[in-house]
Amino acid sequence: MTFQEKLKKLVNAYGVSGDEFRVAEIAAEILKPYVDKVEIDKLGNVVGYKSCGKPNAKKLMLDAHLDQIGFLVTDITKEGFLRFMAMGVDPRMLLGSELNVIPKNGEPIYGVVCSTPPHLQKPGDNKKSVPIDQMLLDVGMPYEMVIEKIEVGDYIAFANDALDLLGDCISSKSMDDRACFMTIIHALELLGDTEIDCDLIIVGSTKEEVGGHGAMARAYIDKPDYAIAIDVGHAKTADSTPMDRTQDFGGGPIIGFGANSIPKFARRAVEVARAKEIPYQIEAIPAASGTNAWAIQIVEDGVSTLVISLPLRYMHSPVEMLTLSDVYNVGKLLCEFIKSFDGQL
Amino acid sequence: MKELLKKLTDLDGLAGYEDEVREFIENEIKDHVDEMFTDPMGNLYAFKKGAKRREKKLLVSAHMDEVGFLVHSITEDGMLKLSQVGGIDPRVLVGRRMKAGHKKVNGIISIKAIHLTTPEERKVAPQLASLYVDIGSSSKKQTEEYVRVGDPVYFNSDFIEFGDNRIKAKAIDDRLGCAMMIEIIKGDIEYDTWFGFSVQEEIGIRGARVLGNRVNPDISLVLEGTTAADLPNVAVHAQACAQGKGGVISLIDGKTVYDREIREPILKKADEEGIKWQYKTAGTGANDNGAIHIAKDGCMAFGLSAPLRYIHSAANVLYWPDAEEMLKMAKLFIKESGAL
Repeated sequence: MTFQEKLKKLVNAYGVSGDEFRVAEIAAEILKPYVDKVEIDKLGNVVGYKSCGKPNAKKLMLDAHLDQIGFLVTDITKEGFLRFMAMGVDPRMLLGSELNVIPKNGEPIYGVVCSTPPHLQKPGDNKKSVPIDQMLLDVGMPYEMVIEKIEVGDYIAFANDALDLLGDCISSKSMDDRACFMTIIHALELLGDTEIDCDLIIVGSTKEEVGGHGAMARAYIDKPDYAIAIDVGHAKTADSTPMDRTQDFGGGPIIGFGANSIPKFARRAVEVARAKEIPYQIEAIPAASGTNAWAIQIVEDGVSTLVISLPLRYMHSPVEMLTLSDVYNVGKLLCEFIKSFDGQL
Repeated sequence: MKELLKKLTDLDGLAGYEDEVREFIENEIKDHVDEMFTDPMGNLYAFKKGAKRREKKLLVSAHMDEVGFLVHSITEDGMLKLSQVGGIDPRVLVGRRMKAGHKKVNGIISIKAIHLTTPEERKVAPQLASLYVDIGSSSKKQTEEYVRVGDPVYFNSDFIEFGDNRIKAKAIDDRLGCAMMIEIIKGDIEYDTWFGFSVQEEIGIRGARVLGNRVNPDISLVLEGTTAADLPNVAVHAQACAQGKGGVISLIDGKTVYDREIREPILKKADEEGIKWQYKTAGTGANDNGAIHIAKDGCMAFGLSAPLRYIHSAANVLYWPDAEEMLKMAKLFIKESGAL
């Protein structure tokens, strides 16, 4: 499989927060050739170890989360329609959207979010957004058939496979954050058999979107000295304003500075980027980074954390969009950082 | 007919840009008709001889066009700004996949991330004027290599079978009517019949006027897709029609009062043959009959539609058994109207 095929296989898979085992299998398969050992733990976290073979080497964790945003079935109406609640989704992108219900066992079940056609609307209706608790999912089946296949509590995710756009742009429902898992894969690919001076712990973590619980558990178990959370960052879109503090799409890795992405660590990343002529951007992160670094930093004895972000347009939509050049540049920065890192900041 | 519907919904044909659909239909029917021609608007006419001549001339029609957009400008950063062609609720556009221009490059419509908005902002639905298609280009110049102002933009939405005999696709309104006519034309018919594949229905029933003028029928049968709002949050009296109850028979709509003289005998016969049908209980909307029945000296009109959920969006939903019942009714109509 080419790098792009692996990326698409990973982002096309389903794994809403708390239901990552299926996507974890795929991630583990992709990671396997690059590390000494891969495991999937009881939470669904994928963890791979690559040792440098040196005594007393420091441990560097590279984390990207595997879970995606999504929904839960809350009710099945007597007509066979589903009501649902959402995790991290703007209601304005749901009417008419295509979703897949992910039953505990069995294949995804396709459905369309109901909308009222223009012919039956009153003037002004189309200016108001519909709250998610008033929405319905049409799975095209009568009640009796629905209850055989779907239960309250089943997960739902945006449907549709990745879509190629112009140049090296790709759009998908779950670039956040599986594309970042692929930046780690790219880093490992570039690293090859190069001799390094730290032990690597690669984590594809669970439940980031609901608080970073997967990464927290891995930090507890693996006790890293350092951790880099690789997550997506808001890239500029045509409708964003300067107040949104977005980063450039295609501008390369975003290196965070702040309490959660500690300056000493971040400066090293900047030095590496400069020395290796990798394009990069700086983001000020005043407090919570909204990434797994927030959870990892305070586990047990404390961990030095860094946040590196991949520019992404339309985050948390069914059509999140990235450019592969950013993916490669994030991977390259990670690789060069690892190569230059002797365990001391 | 399902295979035909799939092929037809995979094609693109905005009002005024129906060429791709028309060419497909011409190829499908050319060996099965006795006469075939087009007019300056792009309507396609086909005459097929039946086993018998009929006293009253019948025109069966369906429209080839679909709702969508035209590129009205390209921004400096390469985004496509759109004008809509036909009635589309802007709320079904965010998060959709599109195809743009004659090269049909992929694009997406979305809005900035939820993290960058306030709860108040999320209560207001973005209107078309603030939306745009992002094809992954970084400049106006790059975009113009692929898409030009005036090019059509379509929903990028696959034909998918799901649930209990459901089909999701774009433009089932009214490619289903087209598929049904092709199916009928490929078979034997009882009486001579004119078939019309019309253009520009979605922007005000334009093609059908010329269709009516040229054929000048005594009876018009329009095969359409109509709104089924049979959803749990819509009161039964407001649902217009429902899936699973067969073809939808029009009584009155925004442009036509349908003729009892022709409706009653056909429905009686349909009941005898056990064909499922239902009345449309809303008077809104209109179809090509609106123009055909007032063309020249006028004619009698019969409206037969498939109950479709979410028409005029990327995801029209059809219940396949309704299409089968509708086809039976259309065939029955062609036969029975010959004896009227």
